[in-house]
Amino acid sequence: MTGTVPRRPRFRIQPYIEFAKKAMAREGTYRFDVFTTVGSFVVRLYLLRMVWTALYAHNAAPVDLSRHEIITYSAVALLMGIVMDIDQTRALHDKLHDGSIATDFMKPIIVPLYFFADGTGEVLFHAALLIPSILIALLIFNIIVPPPMVLAAFFVSFLLGYLVGFFLNFILNCTAFWTLEISAVQLIVTWLTDLLGGELIPLILFPAFLQQFIYALPFAAMFSTPLLIYVRQIPPARYLEVMGLQVAWIVVLGIVSTVMWRAGARRVVVQGG
Amino acid sequence: MQTRRMANVYRQYWRINILTTLEYRENFLIWFLFTFIYHGTAIASLWIILAQFPSMNGWSFRDMAFLYALWMVAHALHNTFFSTVAEIPDHIRDGEFDRLLVRPLDTLFQAIATPGQVFPDELILALLTFVAATIYSGVHVDWTFVVFIPLIVAGGALIDLGLNLIISTAAFWFVKVDALRWIFVQLEQEFTHYPLSIYSRAVQVLLTFVFPFAFMNYFPAAYFLHKPEDAHALALPAAAGLLSPLIGVVFVAVAYAFWRFGLNRYQGVGH
Repeated sequence: MTGTVPRRPRFRIQPYIEFAKKAMAREGTYRFDVFTTVGSFVVRLYLLRMVWTALYAHNAAPVDLSRHEIITYSAVALLMGIVMDIDQTRALHDKLHDGSIATDFMKPIIVPLYFFADGTGEVLFHAALLIPSILIALLIFNIIVPPPMVLAAFFVSFLLGYLVGFFLNFILNCTAFWTLEISAVQLIVTWLTDLLGGELIPLILFPAFLQQFIYALPFAAMFSTPLLIYVRQIPPARYLEVMGLQVAWIVVLGIVSTVMWRAGARRVVVQGG
Repeated sequence: MQTRRMANVYRQYWRINILTTLEYRENFLIWFLFTFIYHGTAIASLWIILAQFPSMNGWSFRDMAFLYALWMVAHALHNTFFSTVAEIPDHIRDGEFDRLLVRPLDTLFQAIATPGQVFPDELILALLTFVAATIYSGVHVDWTFVVFIPLIVAGGALIDLGLNLIISTAAFWFVKVDALRWIFVQLEQEFTHYPLSIYSRAVQVLLTFVFPFAFMNYFPAAYFLHKPEDAHALALPAAAGLLSPLIGVVFVAVAYAFWRFGLNRYQGVGH
């Protein structure tokens, strides 16, 4: 048959901006979340400050990282967590569960890009929660603010880390094409990311033999790289190298995502949605 | 008569739980892995930190392993027998709770004995961890230890239950309590990993007298590990660590009174 194959839609950015806006509005309805997010940030930062203070009071600093720097590290890690720990592509998993993914395939949109826009909208809404949290971190916990050059490098690296996180999440949610129960696996990956990504403890404090193993995983590219740039453990001379590695992870995970998405999408079509 | 009927219901509850677990074996294995990694990463974090900084207010990694394991057993004991209490707000929200009210058995008992997929896997893991941590930390195992540890663990589980019940009772007034529960779960699970002495005085008072999590593991561990009692600002005597069972009973009694108070005023959520 000819003429029935839908033409690939011409790409326009406008619909995706609308998807992101819609996601922001949707998130805005969960107002209680605001209190939990900011409250939990303050409680956890307090706890970490007490932990590091107790450790530095009785021991010599093991690496060239002062108490003030390590508390700053924890504060920035928690701030990053507010936007990074969101499962941006949760919608994919949900839509596979209830079958509504089938209608998305019929729409004249690029479906993975729709998930990216939707997830980014959600993240941007949560980014608004950063404003009170950053103020608290600056005024109450007195965190260090590095010079503008370092800060700029941090933001670039943070953005790259966000993309690494996006693809990792996307891959995890893609596994729902094959198995439907993935919430336990996702929680496991979240904890492993917290630990192996350096969100809880800077990776430079890990035993040497573990460090080699951890740097071979993508988690460090999400949290550790921007954080170590922030506290200036990574000097400007190495920026190109560490950010190059982040880009390499984005490329690798992007390819894996594409392959999984294509295989999964074909499966949905074969099964009839 | 009432007790016999309750025992019968309770037996059925466990039978259904175990049958459900056997039916969904893969699901069970994944959630077991989840439990394993949850505690594994927590202990690994302590190990990594204390490999770099050998002492935390006089507590070594061996001491902290015992501190963690003691909390883990009490928490797992609570999760095994009372995790269903946390589901009461869901029952209230979807109207299922109103059905419990008209049945001729105690309401709280019925809520506790609502079958799901409960299995004592975490408890078994916790007991093994506790035995390992006891040997590893070199705690002197004498008669006091053998007699008091089971009581302390039970007291710790009751402290957990008390908090769980208080939060679930709050659902009589504020239908959605997930956020509230989440804050307290975090407060309990993260603050009990470290010796109480590292916190400021206000937080020590909060964790001792208001939400007595410090009695789940810190005070008993300090007693058995012979930590100097002046390490914490509250200056309680060392033997305070043996009071956990009593604190647990009192805390649950307070929580239960609050539950009765809420239950008597409960009007339904309008189904």
